[in-house]
Amino acid sequence: MFLNRRDFLGGAVAVGSVLALPRLALGDDTASSKQARAKPKRTLVMLHLNGGNDGLNTVIPYKNPRYRVLRPSLAIAPNQVRKVSKDLGFHPGLQGFEALFKRERLAVINGVGYPQPSYSHFRSTEVWFTAQPEKTPTYGWLGRALDATETNAPLRAVALQKEQPLSFASARPGAVTMTDFGRFRVPSGMEKASKLYERYGKLTGQRADVGKAGTQALKVARKIASLKPAGGQFYGGLGNDLRKVLALLKADLGLEAIQLQMGGYDTHSNQAASHQRLLSQLGNNLNQFQAELDKAGLGESVVTVVMSEFGRRAKENLSGGTDHGSAGPVFVLGKGVKPGFHGAYPSLDDLDRDNFKYTTDFRRLYASLLSGAFRMDPTPILGAHKPLELFA
Amino acid sequence: MPSLLTGKVAIAHLLRRAGFGPHAATWNGWAKLDYDTAVDRVLADLDTPLAKDPEPFDLWNPGTIQSLWIDRMVKAPIGAAEKLAFFWHGHFATSESKIIDIQLMWTQYKMLRTKGAGSFRDLVLAISKDVAMIRWLDGNSNRSGHANENYGRELQELFTLGIGNYTEKDIREVARAFTGWGSRSHDFVFKKHFHDTGTKTIHGKTGNFGGEEVVDLLVSLPACSRFIAGKLLRFYSHPDPSKDEVEALAKVMRDSKLDTKTTLGALWRSESFRARSRHRALVKSPIEFSVGACRALGTSAVPGWLQGSTDRMGQTLFRPPSVKGWTSGKGWLSSGSVVERLKAAQRLASHTAKARAASPPRQPLADLLDVALQGVMPKELSEVLGGLSGAARDAVVLGGPEFQLG
Repeated sequence: MFLNRRDFLGGAVAVGSVLALPRLALGDDTASSKQARAKPKRTLVMLHLNGGNDGLNTVIPYKNPRYRVLRPSLAIAPNQVRKVSKDLGFHPGLQGFEALFKRERLAVINGVGYPQPSYSHFRSTEVWFTAQPEKTPTYGWLGRALDATETNAPLRAVALQKEQPLSFASARPGAVTMTDFGRFRVPSGMEKASKLYERYGKLTGQRADVGKAGTQALKVARKIASLKPAGGQFYGGLGNDLRKVLALLKADLGLEAIQLQMGGYDTHSNQAASHQRLLSQLGNNLNQFQAELDKAGLGESVVTVVMSEFGRRAKENLSGGTDHGSAGPVFVLGKGVKPGFHGAYPSLDDLDRDNFKYTTDFRRLYASLLSGAFRMDPTPILGAHKPLELFA
Repeated sequence: MPSLLTGKVAIAHLLRRAGFGPHAATWNGWAKLDYDTAVDRVLADLDTPLAKDPEPFDLWNPGTIQSLWIDRMVKAPIGAAEKLAFFWHGHFATSESKIIDIQLMWTQYKMLRTKGAGSFRDLVLAISKDVAMIRWLDGNSNRSGHANENYGRELQELFTLGIGNYTEKDIREVARAFTGWGSRSHDFVFKKHFHDTGTKTIHGKTGNFGGEEVVDLLVSLPACSRFIAGKLLRFYSHPDPSKDEVEALAKVMRDSKLDTKTTLGALWRSESFRARSRHRALVKSPIEFSVGACRALGTSAVPGWLQGSTDRMGQTLFRPPSVKGWTSGKGWLSSGSVVERLKAAQRLASHTAKARAASPPRQPLADLLDVALQGVMPKELSEVLGGLSGAARDAVVLGGPEFQLG
C-alpha cells in the first residue's frame, strides 16, 4: 500500500505556520471560543504507522488459546514473546519497547478505535486525523486545537514529510512541512529584503504588523536553517526523521506539535519477516529517542504518541499476512506518563466479522493529550470524551 | 469624510483589490485615469468572456489547471473576473483531493468564472447542481429517508447565511429538499425516486419544497445579503468592516436583486474603500502575491515552478484546506511562507530579467518600482533600494514587506 499525495491528504494543504497575533482579523467563524492558556506543558510528537499496524502481533495476548486459532501461521511462540505482564507481551522485535516499559517511560493503550470503523486507509486516516468520524472532514484535530489558542509564535507545528497531514489542517494556514532544514534558509542576495522586515517593525500600523510578523518568522527560519540532525544510535528512515525531531526539540523553538510517519505496515502477505523488521526499527529508534530526550532534560516536556489508522484483521489470511482491520494499541512515551497498560484488551472471541471491537475511543486519548500536554479544555475541540488518565 | 487615496495611488489600490495588481505592460495608461473611469473599466472586465480551453488539454494532472489558472490571472489585462472567480472558489471551496476528476474541477471553475458577477441566486443554484460540489458534499448519498445533511449544512453555514443564522432543524429540512440532487458521470441529474416529496418547514415557511425553492428562500433572507456583503468587504476592502458598512452593502445587494456586479461597483466606489486607512490594509495571500509579482514585473512566460512555490507558501488552487476555504490575514506570514516568498521574489525577478534580455518585449514596460509601489514608500525602503539596481532591486521590492500588503 502506498498512499500518494492525493489519497493521503484529504484536503489538507500547505505550509506556513499557524500564526496568531493579537486582534488578528480572522474570517468567519474561527475567532469564536478562543482559549487562553499557558505555554504548553509538553510538545506533542505524533508518529503515524502508515498502512495499518497489526496490533495483535504487536501487543500479544500470549496466554489466550484463541490467539493461536486466529493466527495459525503468524502466531508468535510464547517463549519468543517479550512478556511484560501476566498475560500480555511485546513482539520479539520490540526490544526497545520492552526496555521503555521497564524504565517506566511507556504507556500502552489497548483496543483503541471508533464506532463503525472504516477499513479504507484513506478514510480511516481521515477519521484519526480529524477526530470527527461522523463528518466530512473540515480541519484536523490538532489544527482545531491550535486555532483555538492565541499565540505570537511564528511556528507552532511541523510535519516531517512532504505533504501536510490532515491532522494539522486549520483555518489559519497549517503547519510547516519540511523534509530538511535547508528549506528555511534565506536565499543569499535577499538579506536586504529580510532586514527590511526588522526596520518595518519599528514603523506604525499595518507596516509595523507585517514587519513584526515577518521578523519573527525569519528569526525562527534562520534558527531552523542552522540546525543539524542530532547524533545518536538511530536506524533507517524513521531514525533519520527522529534525529531531526530531536534537533528541533533541543532548539527550543516553542513548537507545540510535530508529526511524522513510518510506512510499510500494510502487511497483506508474508508478514512475519517484514513486521519483525518494522517493529525492531520502531522500538530501537524510539527507545534511543526517549533516552536522548531524558539526557537533554526534555523527558517531561515532550510526549510521543505512536498510532496507526487501524489494526489488522484478527484472523490471518491465506497469504501469510493480515487484511485491514479495526481497533489496535496506541503507545504513549514520555517521562511522567503513567506507565503500563491502559484500557481493556479487546475480546478475541467476540469479534465483529473477524475484527476487534474497540474498547477505548481514540478521542479519549486525544482528550488526555489536549488536557495533559496542551493544558486546554478538550471538549470544544473533540466533543465530550472523558480523558484517559495518562498524565500524573 | 475620510481622507481619500488619489491619483495613481488610488488606481493601483483599486487594481490590487479588484484584480491582482497593475501590470507592467499597461500601467502607464492606467496611472493617468481618473478614479471613476478606472472603476468603469474594472467593472466592464467582469464581463470578459471566458477563454477557450487549450488544445490539447491534459486533465489527468491537477498541475495542469493550477498552472493554467495562475497563467490567466497573470495575463488578464485587468484580472477582475479571475479575481472574482478566485473569491468564489474560496467561498464555495471544493478540493480536488476528494474530487480527483480534474475535469469536474475545471468545469466548476468555468461556472464560477462565467456566473460569478451575475445574480447570487443563480450562482447558488448553479453550485447546487455542480457535479464537483455534489460529489464534494455527498449529494449522491442524500436520499429520501436517508438524508445526508452535508450539503444542507454547508449551504447555510458557509455558502449563504453564516453560523448562527439557522437551526439544526433547518439543516435537516434543507437536506430533505435536496434529496435526489445527484450526478451521473459528469452531469447533474435529478433522481426523482430518491427525492423526498413530503412537507418541509424551513426558516418558518412550510411547503413541499425542492432544492430550487430552498435556494430562493435562503438567498431572500437578510442574513444572506449581510453574510455575503461582509465576506466581500473582508476580501476586497479591509479585515474588519463595521456593522453599518456591512448593512449598507447588503442593502445594495438586496436592492439590485443580489447582483454581484452592482454590489462590487458600490463597494469599489465607496469612500470607505478609497480611504487612506485602507491603503495596504490587507496581507496578500500566496496566490495574490505570486500573481501580483508576475504582473508587476511583466513576466511574459509564467515559470512552471511558481505553482509549487505557492503551495509551499500555503495556498494551492483547487485544493483549499477544507470546505471553509482559506482564511486571510497575517497568518500567511509564517516562517516557511516568508522564506518561500523571498525565494520566489528572487527567482521571478531573475527569470524575468533573463527572458527580457533574450527577447526584448515589443511594448515598453513600466518600471517595477512605479508599478509595484507608485512611489509610496517609507524611507527605510527607499534607502535600501537606493543602492540596488536591476533584478537584485526588483527582488528586494517584491520580497520586502511593502509588497506583501494588498
